[in-house]
Amino acid sequence: MYLTNGMVMGVINAISAIGVSLIVGIMKVVNFAHGELYIFAGYFSYHLSTSLGLPPLLAMPLSIFFVFLIGILMERTLIRPTYGDEMYSLIITFVLSIVLQNAALLIFGPYPNKPPNLVSGATNIFGLFHYGNQRLLSFGISIGILVFIFYLIKRTWFGKSIRAISQDRGMASLMGVDHLKVNMVSFGLGAALAGAAGVIIAPIFPVTPTGSSAISLTAFVVVVLGGMGSLKGCVVGGLILGILENLGAAYISTMYRHIFGFVVLILVLVFRPWGLFGQKTQ
Amino acid sequence: MEGKGALVSRRIIEAKGLTKSFGGLTAVRNVDFHLEEGEIIGLIGPNGAGKTTLFNLVSGVLRYDEGTLLFNGVSLASLKSFEICRLGIGRTFQIVRPFLKMTCLENILVGMIGRQNKKDSQKEKKEEAKGYLKFVGLESREAILANDLTLIEKKRLEMARALATQPRVLLLDEVLAGLNPSEILQALELIEVIRTRFKMTIFWIEHVMGAIMKASDRIIVLDQGEKIKEGKPEEIANDSKVIEAYLGESDA
Amino acid sequence: MANFKKFWIPILFIILAIFPPFFLSQYWLHVMIISLFYVMMASSWNLIAGFTGQVSFAHAAFSGVGAYVSGMLAVNLGLSPWLGILIGSAVAALLGLGLGYLCIRMGGIYLSLTTLGFSEILRIIITNEDKWTRGTMGLQVPGFFAEYSKVSNYFLFLIVAILFLIIIYRIIHSEMGLSFRAVLNDELAASSSGINTVRVRVLAFTISSAMAGMAGGLYGHYLMLITPDIPSLGQMFLVLAMAVIGGMGSFVGPIVGSFALEILSEYIRIYGEYHVLLFGLVALGVARFAPEGMMGILNRRWRGRGLS
Repeated sequence: MYLTNGMVMGVINAISAIGVSLIVGIMKVVNFAHGELYIFAGYFSYHLSTSLGLPPLLAMPLSIFFVFLIGILMERTLIRPTYGDEMYSLIITFVLSIVLQNAALLIFGPYPNKPPNLVSGATNIFGLFHYGNQRLLSFGISIGILVFIFYLIKRTWFGKSIRAISQDRGMASLMGVDHLKVNMVSFGLGAALAGAAGVIIAPIFPVTPTGSSAISLTAFVVVVLGGMGSLKGCVVGGLILGILENLGAAYISTMYRHIFGFVVLILVLVFRPWGLFGQKTQ
Repeated sequence: MEGKGALVSRRIIEAKGLTKSFGGLTAVRNVDFHLEEGEIIGLIGPNGAGKTTLFNLVSGVLRYDEGTLLFNGVSLASLKSFEICRLGIGRTFQIVRPFLKMTCLENILVGMIGRQNKKDSQKEKKEEAKGYLKFVGLESREAILANDLTLIEKKRLEMARALATQPRVLLLDEVLAGLNPSEILQALELIEVIRTRFKMTIFWIEHVMGAIMKASDRIIVLDQGEKIKEGKPEEIANDSKVIEAYLGESDA
Repeated sequence: MANFKKFWIPILFIILAIFPPFFLSQYWLHVMIISLFYVMMASSWNLIAGFTGQVSFAHAAFSGVGAYVSGMLAVNLGLSPWLGILIGSAVAALLGLGLGYLCIRMGGIYLSLTTLGFSEILRIIITNEDKWTRGTMGLQVPGFFAEYSKVSNYFLFLIVAILFLIIIYRIIHSEMGLSFRAVLNDELAASSSGINTVRVRVLAFTISSAMAGMAGGLYGHYLMLITPDIPSLGQMFLVLAMAVIGGMGSFVGPIVGSFALEILSEYIRIYGEYHVLLFGLVALGVARFAPEGMMGILNRRWRGRGLS
């Protein structure tokens, strides 16, 4: 059962991580505010479905869309001028994450909120144990999103521009790629993925404003573990981390659950900074 | 070292079988070369031939996988780039890299830090730094931030900074790129003065063919990581292999 | 003329600084003490982030190390806080040295993430090992003086802060400072120009974490209660905001930033816990539009007047 929990968390992590990886790969910017976008989406989803009474099937994509817009706004106003200066983009997104965290506290209040489930009940897995249907659905949706992203990146022209820019911005620009616009959309996409992860998770685990740092950090660990710039890495890394954290929490200690992620992060950065599938850069 | 009299030149850098690979790609393969003291040696080759990689191996920015590299008989194998600089190999970069948020004077002062003579006072060091600036014609720009200089001024600053480290060998990576013809002539004059005034050995990558052919004593040609030809400029200019290598590039 | 200014202005400030205890209320004296704590933290963080470009998020964690080491030594071994803070600072310096080496192959992003991870690991351990640290309930520790006195604490903080600032000033204006800035500007060019960049980076980490450790020790024994709030990212953010808003890469910037923000936060506290949000927005604005901070803006004004 823990394994399954791990897998579910794993794919959600993967989505979250791809959101980070996209932005880092293209713009060499680490979006510290990632976790905040994630929970914002969760909150939007909650409020849309409860306060406004929208059906969850509508609330979820709408929330993701809002977060997408926020991402684009962030890029245009704050991130764009910092290109080339790594230090300042780090500082700006870090401060932004604190600002958003506090804003969330003020706007949404400190209490955890949980949007309603899409489905209820449980299914029997391989005749071994029962498992919540909502979680199964989340798993399914996550896989769907991952497949969609892979398709987007590998097959479409947009995806190709992203890959071109992340390899050589100058060349891509010469070849007619409007790199500023692609930047903006990718940032939005990265934000949207954070949002998607948040929206998927919200019915299972309620969202709170204080959980955002842990979420950002988990995403970073996955990206580093899997290798910056590798989508495959995000998926594998996400699964490994999800399973590791769940098994670790179950068999070793729940309080130290988050430490596993950090220890993994540091070990990878010290010994194999390019992660499992990343590229060795000089 | 080998004998008396000015006729015998010393091999100040000696490299044999240098090889460097990145993953599956071999950037430099089995390259032998040597530099004799006081020479100006040009390194040419089509794009991607491995020239800057070779420079990076010599200055210690990268570690070579195989081969030997000696500087005055000392192996550079396990040395870091700052140690190699302190031994006496200075360099400039293809894309000019002065310390942008520091003044010209400070740029030079940084170059002087690695030298081991700690005895001079602040005042004496500043005077010496000003001297280097004067040498490259930047004495009036002393208090200006490097970021506010023109391209050729930045290149001169980088040159002065490299000279301030008191090297015996100077690696110049495409110093003439982006300069107009009169600036190129100024740069060539400067390089010759550096050679004679400081008894410098100069190893030089360049794409401006006319200039490098005229100014160099000897030319080494790299193509796809290998040395394909070495000799006097006149020999190289007419060599069919060299021409082919460059023609191959223009097809791509 | 310039030397005259450089020498007498600080002396003036130091002399002025002697007076506050005589006319400030206990409350405002407390604010001054806290400001001095942040001056120590922000200035030492500036050394590593503003001068060598290593944006470390572990600074608050190091102050926590200093505080908890000193505190636990006092509680469990009866060690005097005066000795405790020295040991705490040394332990922090050692950890800083280690972290610096750990991060040596990493550039901006990775380094920051590693320091972030390190900081959180430390905080989680401190929070969970409550047998030793009393976790979130807080560790009660003795103060510096037999009789608790804000005035005495004020002067203690003042003296240490001035000491730190003198050290930082000397570093900035020495060859060490030049090599720090060279690494900040372009590590590759610096190393190719003969600078031992590894030594520079590790040195910056060690010195700044030693200072953070001592500042943490002072803070803990002043409050006489040490909590996991000290090594938290929230504290880290405040330190960062003060340095950024005041002006990273300048000597006076963090000093100005610390006092300004700490005093401001006291005024805002009357209205509610909005000061973090406000500082964040201001820091965002500064980082975006005026990266040189308040000192940068002031400098530009002065330079402008000088030319006309």
